[in-house]
Amino acid sequence: MSYYAWPRTLCTDSAMQASAITFRVPEQLSGRVDVLPEGDRSRCELHCEAGQLQELSRWLRRRGFVFVGLIVEQEAERWLLRYVFYPTQRTPESGDSSWVHLLISQPLAQTRFASAIETIPGIDWHEREAEDLFGLVFEGHPKLGDFVLHDDAWQEGVAPMRKEFDAHTAVSHRAPDPHWRPKRIVHAAGAFAMPIGPVYTGVAESAHFLLETVGEDVIRALPRFYYKHRAVEKIAEGRWPEDVLLLAERFNGISAFAHGLAFAQALEAIGETEVPPRARTLRTLLAELERLRHHVGLIHDICESTALTVAASQAAILEEELLRLCGALTGHRYLFGLATCGGLTRDFRDADLSSAVARSGEILRRLTELEIKLIKTSSFLDRLEEVGIITAKEAQAYGLVGPIARASGVARDLRRVQPYATYAQHTFEVPQESEGDGYARLRVLLAEARESTRIISQALSVLPGGPVRAESIACGPGAALGWTEAPLGAAFHWVRLNEEGRVSRYRIIPPSFVNWHAFYLAAEAFAFQDFPIILASFGLSVTENDR
Amino acid sequence: MTEATAVAVFFVLCGLGALLGLVTKQERNPVLLALIGAAAALAACVAGAHALFAAQPFAAHLWPLPTGGTLRIGLDRLSGLFLLIVGAVFLPTSVFSAGYLRRYLSHYSLRSFTVLYFGLFASITAVIIARDVFSFLLTWELMSITSYLLVNFEYEREQNVRAGYLMLAMGEGGTLAAALALLLLASAAGALDFSALKAAGGSLSPEMRWSVFLLSFFGFGVKAGLVPFNSWLPRAHPVAPANISALLSGVILNLGIYGIVRVNLDLLRPDLMGTGVVTLIVGTISAFVGILYATTENDTKGMLAHSSIENMGIVTAGLGAGFIFTAAGRPALAAIALVAALYHMTNHSIYKALLFLGAGTVDYRAGTRDLDRLGGLIHRMPWTALFFLIGSLSIAAIYPFSGFASEWLTLQALLRSAELSSTGIKIVFALCGVGLALTAALAVTCFVKAFAMGFLGLARSEQAGEAAEAPASMLAPMGALAVTSFILGVVPTFVIPTLSGALAPLGNPQATAALVPPFFAQETDHAGLPADFAAEFHDLGAQVGERIIPGRGLVVLHRGGAANPVVFAMSTSYGVVVLVLLLLITWLVLARVSHRRRIRREVPWAGGVRQLFPEMTYTATGFSNPVRVVFDAILRPRTVEDTEETVSAHFRVAIKRSEEPTHLVDRFVLEGLTRTLNVVAAWFARMHHGRVNAYVAYVLVTLLVFLVASAFV
Amino acid sequence: MANWVFSGLRMGVKTTRYPRRADETPGVTPGLPLGRSLTGGEGREVVARCPTGALMTDGDNITIDYRRCVHCFRCARGASDPLPWQGGYQWARAAAPPAQRRQVGVAAEEERTPGQPLGTAFARSLHVRVVDAGDCGACLREVKQLSNPYYNLHRLGFFITPTPRQADVLLVVGPGTDQMRTALEKAYAAMPTPRRVLAVGACALSGGVFGPSFMCSDGIGSIIPVDAEVPGNPPPPLAILHGLLLLAGRAGERREEEGPT
Repeated sequence: MSYYAWPRTLCTDSAMQASAITFRVPEQLSGRVDVLPEGDRSRCELHCEAGQLQELSRWLRRRGFVFVGLIVEQEAERWLLRYVFYPTQRTPESGDSSWVHLLISQPLAQTRFASAIETIPGIDWHEREAEDLFGLVFEGHPKLGDFVLHDDAWQEGVAPMRKEFDAHTAVSHRAPDPHWRPKRIVHAAGAFAMPIGPVYTGVAESAHFLLETVGEDVIRALPRFYYKHRAVEKIAEGRWPEDVLLLAERFNGISAFAHGLAFAQALEAIGETEVPPRARTLRTLLAELERLRHHVGLIHDICESTALTVAASQAAILEEELLRLCGALTGHRYLFGLATCGGLTRDFRDADLSSAVARSGEILRRLTELEIKLIKTSSFLDRLEEVGIITAKEAQAYGLVGPIARASGVARDLRRVQPYATYAQHTFEVPQESEGDGYARLRVLLAEARESTRIISQALSVLPGGPVRAESIACGPGAALGWTEAPLGAAFHWVRLNEEGRVSRYRIIPPSFVNWHAFYLAAEAFAFQDFPIILASFGLSVTENDR
Repeated sequence: MTEATAVAVFFVLCGLGALLGLVTKQERNPVLLALIGAAAALAACVAGAHALFAAQPFAAHLWPLPTGGTLRIGLDRLSGLFLLIVGAVFLPTSVFSAGYLRRYLSHYSLRSFTVLYFGLFASITAVIIARDVFSFLLTWELMSITSYLLVNFEYEREQNVRAGYLMLAMGEGGTLAAALALLLLASAAGALDFSALKAAGGSLSPEMRWSVFLLSFFGFGVKAGLVPFNSWLPRAHPVAPANISALLSGVILNLGIYGIVRVNLDLLRPDLMGTGVVTLIVGTISAFVGILYATTENDTKGMLAHSSIENMGIVTAGLGAGFIFTAAGRPALAAIALVAALYHMTNHSIYKALLFLGAGTVDYRAGTRDLDRLGGLIHRMPWTALFFLIGSLSIAAIYPFSGFASEWLTLQALLRSAELSSTGIKIVFALCGVGLALTAALAVTCFVKAFAMGFLGLARSEQAGEAAEAPASMLAPMGALAVTSFILGVVPTFVIPTLSGALAPLGNPQATAALVPPFFAQETDHAGLPADFAAEFHDLGAQVGERIIPGRGLVVLHRGGAANPVVFAMSTSYGVVVLVLLLLITWLVLARVSHRRRIRREVPWAGGVRQLFPEMTYTATGFSNPVRVVFDAILRPRTVEDTEETVSAHFRVAIKRSEEPTHLVDRFVLEGLTRTLNVVAAWFARMHHGRVNAYVAYVLVTLLVFLVASAFV
Repeated sequence: MANWVFSGLRMGVKTTRYPRRADETPGVTPGLPLGRSLTGGEGREVVARCPTGALMTDGDNITIDYRRCVHCFRCARGASDPLPWQGGYQWARAAAPPAQRRQVGVAAEEERTPGQPLGTAFARSLHVRVVDAGDCGACLREVKQLSNPYYNLHRLGFFITPTPRQADVLLVVGPGTDQMRTALEKAYAAMPTPRRVLAVGACALSGGVFGPSFMCSDGIGSIIPVDAEVPGNPPPPLAILHGLLLLAGRAGERREEEGPT
């Protein structure tokens, strides 16, 4: 039974691609293949049996497909598990950037699934989240439980993402379970587990880290998130898309525009809405402006963590100037309320845009001056170099994204590989480093800030006139994936609208979710004093992960 | 009561105690031991005090020896000091035993304990009052054997037996060396009693002097726990019962010092510079090695054992400085150094006994000695915590407790090396001074760790969380020792004249004059002090308490020449008054400022975690880890295990690390020695090949050799 | 080795003159909508556009509950009759009286009217502990900007402390998620009296777009007693400064008739 009964014609390119893929896959696949358009490319859905999942994912990986995430949907009578892949190479089979979704479906009563952890290590947290929120069991996964819903505070057996669970239930509060203990794996005489957080020094996000140590070096770092879990995916269900757009922007305020844009693009893919060219170019400009501001903020955090106060103040000045620039141009310092389905909510005067772009160029010049001074400060570099290392192999295995992956040699950028807005028309470099230490990450941030300014000037120079919002916006039933390269990496929003046009399933796969998974690799085998610096050089967002 | 009577009463009491111990029931034995032991200790104290403070020593002849001469006993002022310390430590320990020995009630024989206890007490006293070689060695052996039997009291544990055996073996080796030294002296003097030895001591050749020094220093050094013969000490202390550990550290180690002092200061004059240098260097190395291992040790009693090595090292370093100054012809400086050494020894006996009794109490109540499994005891055992704190403050040399006065004085004495002429000696002094300063710093770390991890924070094991306070019979002796330790620190100007009196028969009466100026003198011209100098100190308040407090003054001061009138000065007596006043004023001000506020007690802030578990708090290992890391080159732990277990790619289920440190001295001395012995023994084992014919041949050859040898004799 | 001292001095003074003089630099605040009178039927359309119910009709006027405004700009953009908008940032005011508020660990002598300043001793020496109860990152970032040279809260005698034991004010951002509840209660309990709580941002005041739900409260006022509130999503640093000055007794509240100034 197909859910995608969409009365539209498939373009002939997709038919060729579909036949190309099914031509290659007959012996492995006995189920159905659907090819559907999604945005300006197509999506190929392979229905498969549970046992075929491992083999198919290996086949896809060999052909350069990258695993995005697992989307669990509870339909009327069945579970639908969707494993999303996108291509990074243009092979004959993949045609022109057609995505592949592997679908596994089971009746609702059967909640046991096979874990794909052996072939896709990055699926670890996806399966744990599904277990906590939906109550599904992935056999073969060694460590289910105590992930999103903390075992010492939540009782067993509550699966809040299930349709039966009412998001407005008042949950009675329990005292912490006195028999719960954190799992410790270090067996050494005198080993203890130092807790950091959830409320720790300074102005910092709430997350908990348990550092197992014998005194100086961290032997094992165990992060514990979801203290900030607001159940965005659950409370989105049943709301109108424009209200869920508010959630998409505000679940992570410091990359609000990128996530809002991804959500808007998903809605546009569902409704096949054509976004006017001026809006697309302005979206690119605003997204890069946000990236510039975000990266300057991260550089400020790095300087602050190494206690290089003058540099931190100078970076803070640049960040504040960028915030004021955004505020003066758009009305909101963090670019809230701009992205919308079909374009942008407001237009800008060319004079304002020119002066804003000129100011951003000026800020880049001062950032470059700061960079030159930082590179000459050996006490600063000492604390970043060869500290908090993620090797290229680890980055590949965990499927890392964003500046962190690029600093470890995995130069994957959605703006290049799966372009959206007007990125395909702009010239820019995707910076790459290979050491994977804190200094490499800093260099990637500085290089990306430079490239962002380049794209902003290019966007301004080719900015066409015209409306900033599509005139007719259709939002009928359907489901689509929207994506952007957020400042922290690849962000994906999966939206399903029901017949009424309300959101029935909303799934966010943020870049921090993927990257926090590998954080412990960087933190271990370094001393306590390096921990805040490693944390700052990663620059990951806890709130983006916790949703 | 004269000393003779007191000593006689003492021996009678010991005998009585032993006899009664045999016949009394097991349950009553501890109380009996406590009562009679306390009485005997009082008698010993009286004897010692009398000898120390009175002008004339006593001497007596006992039975004649078959080889000529008679057995002599006597108490001079030096022996009096040691006897007083013995009594002062045995008194609280005996009272403590009343409650502590109950844990052995059903398991081991308390009767034998009592007998051995009084035997040990008697033999220790006998060593101190022995005045001839024969009785000295006899009683020394008795002391060794009874102490071995007591250390090995819990004989059912394999580890205890081995530790005790090592103690006995090394002790015997030391005794052998010491005996050789004494016999060398005796052969030079032609008689066995100490007065004859002393008379002959002046006319020995330098080679003879060196051999006697080396043999006696290292021989008695085994008993005192000096590097490189201290391997038995960290093994013996943890396995002994707590009261025996207190005696071991507080009394028996002193006997090693007694032997060294008696032979090298009394019987021989220290005129060879080299002997002093050796003493000083060995002392410094012992101090450093001792405290390094104490800081990284988690077993409370093991840590205290290493700390005893450290303290004995400091005492020895003081003695070495004294020897060097005597050889260099500076008797006043020598007096200061020797007084400092004896002062430190006295202080150490008191606070180490206190700490061992405290550790024993904790072990008794919390069931473990491992600092990584204790914690939070300050709420459950507040008095024990208080007394242990005073002991820790004393041993860490914190003003104004006793350890401060003696360690400060030792370091000041070492600094006086500036007045010597030889550069080489000055360099040695400088390096040793640095070593001792580093030791002092590590000692603070060690005892902050001990007190904080043991008593503060959260309980790390269930038993520690349920420990109850000890009974009064165990608390009172600790309290008495704590008070004594405090007093010894606060009135150094009374202790120093007493100690310099103890040195008087050895020819060093000047320490008092050098260190305690008579600011309380009623005459206008303070004896020996220029008037303007005395006036200056009067302005500083050095005469406060003149009419009320007896004695010469309350300021410890050393005067230099015209260029440097005051070399060092200190007064813990005035200092403690000022401290108390400051604390009082602060408390009053705070009370006034906050009298309208109420104190609200909340759980400790831990970052908002839902529950704070004990395993989330620092352990003793974690606290001392920086020291382990810095001195890794010396400690060189051997990695036993360093593994990771994973399931399915990157899920780790266990990370195991374990290391085994071998003691530095064991690595260089014991292991080298055992390896050599093994090699030699293996070579000789070739004789055991099982052929009877060859064995007969051996007999024949030996007979031939003897016949030939007898022909030449 | 770069000469940081020199480069720092060359940067000059960037600090805002607030609170001595108002700061009117563009981009310093997103502003807030102003209420106005209803004109015919179009006004109701504007009220219906608000996703969080911040706009209400009161007779002939549109009134605004600023605690709920999430800066979606729907009442200002794309509406046929948009609301007037005004800049300004002095938005802080005292919280509601304690009738409905839970009292957590409050001793008898600590009963206080919300918004009551701490007293003259704290006017120029205020220590703030910041707790993140689930915020999106924007409010926290704005709080972080308080230490940058433009705002420099240290010149006013305000400091951020690492522990609530030394804090006078607990600054809370975020909607108060269920899993941060215990940590927030503990942070409040760990503060010595006198203490005040400053709730910053729409999420902390009313749950914002997230609450109330099974995971979020309808504002942290249901977890710990709140003294002063700073609306906005996020409130700009100057508004947060105004809130701190209010608690230190150095500034007055936002007055309702005037709207944001």
